[in-house]
Amino acid sequence: MADPDMVDFAVEYAQRKGATYAEARYEQQASETFVLKNGVVDSLIYGDDAGIGVRVLAGGSLGFGATNAKSKAGVRATVEDAVRIAKSTKRKEPIVFAPEPAVVSNWSVPERMKLQDVPVEDKIEELRHIDRELVDLKLKMPARYMLSTNARITKHFANSEGSRIHSYSPRVRLYYYLTLMKGNDAEQCYRNFGWSGGWEALREWRALDKVLEEARTCQNALERGVKSPEGRMDLVVSPPVAGIMAHESCGHPTEADRVLGREASQAGKSFITPGMIGDKVGSPAVTVVDDPTVEHAIAFYLYDDEGVRARRRYLYKEGRIHEFLQNRETAAALRVRSNGASRATNYDREPIPRMANTFVEPGDYAPDEMISEVKRGVYMKTYMEWNIDDKRYNGKYVGREAYLIEDGEVQGPVRKTVVELTTPMVWGSVDACAKDLDLTEAGFCGKSDPGQALDACLGGPTMRLRNVYLR
Amino acid sequence: MEDHAEAIVKQALKAGAQDAVAEVVVDRNYQIRFARNEPVIVNEWRRTVGTVFLVYNHRVIAGEVTDFSRVSRTIENLVKAAKASPENPDYRGIAKGPFKYARPSVDRKILALEDGSDHVEAAVNGALEEGAKECAGSFWRYHTRHFLETSNGASGTDERVGLYLSIRALVSLESSGHGVSCATKASQFDPDKAGHKAGRIATLARNPKGGAAGKYDIVFDPLILGSLIDQSGGRTSAYLVETGFSPYMKKIGKKVASSAVTIHEDGSADTLARRRFDAEGVPVRKKAIVQKGILKTYLHNTSTAKKFKTKTTANAGLIAPEPFALMCEPGDWTRDELFEEVKDGLWLTNTWYTRYQSYVTGDFSTIPRDGIFHVKKGEVVEAWKDVRLTDNLIHLWSSVKGLSKTAEQVQWWGEVDVPTMAPYALATQIGITKSAM
Repeated sequence: MADPDMVDFAVEYAQRKGATYAEARYEQQASETFVLKNGVVDSLIYGDDAGIGVRVLAGGSLGFGATNAKSKAGVRATVEDAVRIAKSTKRKEPIVFAPEPAVVSNWSVPERMKLQDVPVEDKIEELRHIDRELVDLKLKMPARYMLSTNARITKHFANSEGSRIHSYSPRVRLYYYLTLMKGNDAEQCYRNFGWSGGWEALREWRALDKVLEEARTCQNALERGVKSPEGRMDLVVSPPVAGIMAHESCGHPTEADRVLGREASQAGKSFITPGMIGDKVGSPAVTVVDDPTVEHAIAFYLYDDEGVRARRRYLYKEGRIHEFLQNRETAAALRVRSNGASRATNYDREPIPRMANTFVEPGDYAPDEMISEVKRGVYMKTYMEWNIDDKRYNGKYVGREAYLIEDGEVQGPVRKTVVELTTPMVWGSVDACAKDLDLTEAGFCGKSDPGQALDACLGGPTMRLRNVYLR
Repeated sequence: MEDHAEAIVKQALKAGAQDAVAEVVVDRNYQIRFARNEPVIVNEWRRTVGTVFLVYNHRVIAGEVTDFSRVSRTIENLVKAAKASPENPDYRGIAKGPFKYARPSVDRKILALEDGSDHVEAAVNGALEEGAKECAGSFWRYHTRHFLETSNGASGTDERVGLYLSIRALVSLESSGHGVSCATKASQFDPDKAGHKAGRIATLARNPKGGAAGKYDIVFDPLILGSLIDQSGGRTSAYLVETGFSPYMKKIGKKVASSAVTIHEDGSADTLARRRFDAEGVPVRKKAIVQKGILKTYLHNTSTAKKFKTKTTANAGLIAPEPFALMCEPGDWTRDELFEEVKDGLWLTNTWYTRYQSYVTGDFSTIPRDGIFHVKKGEVVEAWKDVRLTDNLIHLWSSVKGLSKTAEQVQWWGEVDVPTMAPYALATQIGITKSAM
């Protein structure tokens, strides 16, 4: 059966079996992943995963079935599973979805260098070239690990309300991890770049320059780095650091399913409750958005996995909690409309509220201008260790590449600057954002059970925090 | 399905591969997720997926087969890609079979289970009886069948079943507890006990106050110790050692923990991960990773073992060696004795978000969640919140003073990846930090 026919059949059959709402999502993910381990192409991994996921509302409960069977009989069995398990579920209150119009659409992401047309040997060679240039730096680097993956994701979505959406989304990632040593002292660095589009990604990222620069700064830290100063001072953070702060301390706590307790046992709840819309959480300089419609950012999409049109979401606006990331289920529970944040990692997972490209809105400053106004502080360009508690209140970011700022000038490297602050402390201390928005940084956002590690953009602008405690 | 695995290997050899491994997995897992004391979704899967590992003139390639009508085309594409790929001089072969495998039985009662609602209800009610207000978690019935074939003569089938329940009970946002139940036999499964434990901890954790930074003697509950065992056991993979993701580089034969600590890896043990063979078809077996504090071995597949001039530990994954199940040997303390040893310290019950500043040094932090208790003279005096454990992995294990006489099987979302047998542990002078005011 052809893929679009399969989703149509699944939706129609689910209704016949008693579903009051049904949706089916056929998804194919064709991927190439190659790993360079200390210069050696360790493995080349080809993914070719495809199947159909069927989610239904029946008897007021949700059931989800997934199969990679291509036959009508296989799809029929999965639909029967989904309807049966939904009907067998006992709930006090029925689950309802917020209303949405039916949509018919066909969207795709443009690729300047189509992933399918670039031979795998050329892709591997680009990575090997970066590795050779790294070796030519002649630094003591006992471990070099690089992983590149590119995926072509095709989806057909249909639901019982008449939506029919086809999409094609190519994605590219580069992840590297370097270990440099001086005697027994070690410096490790990690970066992860993401792009929605074709193989032009490596040039757009300026991957070679960035990897070499990263290695040089590690060496610089090993040779010249001093302990980071302790006490209250200003902190200027680069786009990747602002990005992880936005992701952890704004994006996660504004996911509506966390706010409502659906993630309580896994990724946790949120310090934000439904009644806190409009509450102050930071300074007026802080506006954090989540925007799936930024072309070429890793989490680009136009319709989510419930067929809802994507749009820019203002999570924090001018220092106040503004809106949550919603799917149709959470939107109905909170008496609002979905804002198109529902995504699944593949055909075999339910769609839930997720971040896409989350970032602090840029301001008017030039980064140099920001630094020139700092009497004493730290300029943190990258980080290594980070984490945050499950209510998203106590975050920690430890600098990898960081420099002392004195009298408006960037000085020598400082090591392991620890920023261990509460969420209101982070956002309440921000007084300026720069205009240098950079959304190339990417990560995998973890949530749900079974786990759904999903593409997320972790970029932003350079951002300044005043008078925070560092150690 | 044996036919599919065999066909994949034959096709790979015909296409020119020298080594080939195929494993076909039939997945019939079932899950109930619950939150706010009731089910939020029920999931069921019907997937049959083949994984292929093949080597063409020292070029290593892996792929998957989801459409078994296109096996020959998939293999041809993989070999074509392998030909375009550079050689991997580190690759040194797969294990030579045939092998004989143990025949563990599976509990048919688990296979017959079609509705897990009663188990969810038992866990939630258990927590509510202890005073919890809100419960969330998941119930799983695992059932997978495995069919493995290699070009070196290994051939085997396996059936793996299990029941799992994870519950987090909350009295309020900052007063929570967590419990899990893991079983390969229906008669061992105890969701009620998991619920009661989660509820008890949540109730005890009421009205927490902000904790204080410092160095503390800490009693680790099995769930958080499981996370630390997972961190250590996983990072003994030879692959992670080679790539800089491990603090155990050049530490074989050296002290990496206190002499109280012995950790085994054993895929054959009766845990949720029990299996007959690794990804190369080698029969899995028990081995000490850390014995009385000394690092004894890395985890190997055949290829990494040859490179390290040793024998495979039967821990092959598709590409890299990995642990299947980890066991921290119990000690000779009772749980009460461990607490009595704490003059002014903490009892931590769970953690999450473990991240490293440097994997090679082992500097890391992790965030205790659920019940965090201040203990004085062996007694819980108050509940804490908002603290972080900031230490070094080798230092932490070297600081273990005692382990309880009994261990329990734990596994948990994101933190305890593989089933782990964990006792209670007491470690001394462990770093605690907190957010600056």
